[in-house]
Amino acid sequence: MTNPSMAAAIVGAAESDEIGFALSEKGTTNTMLHIEAISNVCKQVGISPSEIEGVFSAGFTPQIAEYLHIRPKYIDGTAVGGSSFELHVHHALAAIAAGVIDVALVSHGESGRSARKNQGRGTGGGGGGDPWAPGAAFSGGPYGGWGAPFNYAHAMTRHLHQWGSTKEDFAQIAVSARDWATLNPRAVMHSKETDPNGGPITVQDVLDSRLISWPLNLLDVCLVTDHGGAVLIVSAEKAHSFKTSPVWIAGAGESMGHWDMLEMDDLTLTSAVNSGKTAYQMAGMGPGEMELGMIYDSFTVTVGITVEALGLAPRGGFMELFEGGKSGPGGSGMPINTNGGGLSFSHSGMYGMMLLVEAYRQLSGTAEDGVNGIAGKQTSAQTAIVNGTGGSLSTTGTLVLVADQ
Amino acid sequence: MHWYPRILCPFCYSRSISWFEASGEGTLYSFAVQQRAFAPGWKEEGPYVTCFIDLNEGDRMFGVLLDVDVSKPEDIFAKIGSKVSIEFVKANDEVHVPYWKLAS
Repeated sequence: MTNPSMAAAIVGAAESDEIGFALSEKGTTNTMLHIEAISNVCKQVGISPSEIEGVFSAGFTPQIAEYLHIRPKYIDGTAVGGSSFELHVHHALAAIAAGVIDVALVSHGESGRSARKNQGRGTGGGGGGDPWAPGAAFSGGPYGGWGAPFNYAHAMTRHLHQWGSTKEDFAQIAVSARDWATLNPRAVMHSKETDPNGGPITVQDVLDSRLISWPLNLLDVCLVTDHGGAVLIVSAEKAHSFKTSPVWIAGAGESMGHWDMLEMDDLTLTSAVNSGKTAYQMAGMGPGEMELGMIYDSFTVTVGITVEALGLAPRGGFMELFEGGKSGPGGSGMPINTNGGGLSFSHSGMYGMMLLVEAYRQLSGTAEDGVNGIAGKQTSAQTAIVNGTGGSLSTTGTLVLVADQ
Repeated sequence: MHWYPRILCPFCYSRSISWFEASGEGTLYSFAVQQRAFAPGWKEEGPYVTCFIDLNEGDRMFGVLLDVDVSKPEDIFAKIGSKVSIEFVKANDEVHVPYWKLAS
């Protein structure tokens, strides 16, 4: 079995024209958000959609391929919640390494905010959804359970108990995300002008915010927005053929432990322990070599549990990465979620695409690529670990990305 | 032993399965206080405390914890690991819903 490490690279990453809260008046659809992002990334890279050979999305692939008149050689609609896009990159890497395709598109569009506002219900990233439906993410509907915050709150309670962490420890994750958001003009929580809850915020602000599902307060919980994103992945041979600089896929892994949280053995440990191990081994690198963390933050607890599973902090010790602003702008530690994350930037329901877009922005050598009009980059990172978490702490996809040397 | 019921044992993959009467006892594994309820049939019930229970027989169940003060989650937090027992509450002529109570 050959190691597919570095067989492919991300050569472009872009978002939809607009993101955030404000699109619900415009009749924005999932498809529009996909297509805007794809159009933007193709323009950035200097490629025609007709050159795309593999089409990857979370259950929307036939619509995208048809819309763009792509005649794909590889069709992947893996939809396992917000981590789907990290899995797509893994699958695209495998397909490219196997020689099946040379050019892959991963895209996402989700009018999660508009759906909630206009249809009275969210689109659901797997953690929510209808628990009465066959195959639902949670069997607890008849017994009083419903939605994502309710599920994740039990994991946070268990972490507080099992590891002696505190609500203040988790609140620091939200503070760090807001601090990064103040540097991102596209972030929904960029400032008090963009939203009354906008950045910066304090630990006390988090603790004082409305209680959603104890121990989760409002500011422990991600946003619900509209957004789209897209990345282009090409074979190593083609990686330097475009206007943009490549970011290499050194390692990739995916796994899951359960779908229904009732089947999760330890509520403080996700399958990132396995997907991370696979990704590290493929890359021949370890957690100590990671210089940027893009860690799915549906809730503060998601980040805390995940960085431990990935070995970035010891079990029960996530707070080491965040205390005193270490993970924030100008901090002394690993920068984490530099776009502001799902907590402060944008979270449409399935957020994992935006992890990819931001990791590309920070690692791509050409700041003048101007990804989404945000000038430059805020870190000097040459490596990144990206981890998506989907469902109810259920499915995970981990990537180790490295800058072009 | 597995909750919830299914047509195949997820441990040994046998399809020879049957119901049995469990002790109805276990320990509190985790909980959360639902300020607002979204589940159908529960929307008027909030706030209430949901919980995961480790059954004495070995698997886990989910439900609502009765007779606790929702305004004092710290007090409930101190009870994690404590013994609980099941209480079936009649919902209608056909359905009883399992709830949980901390052992006194």
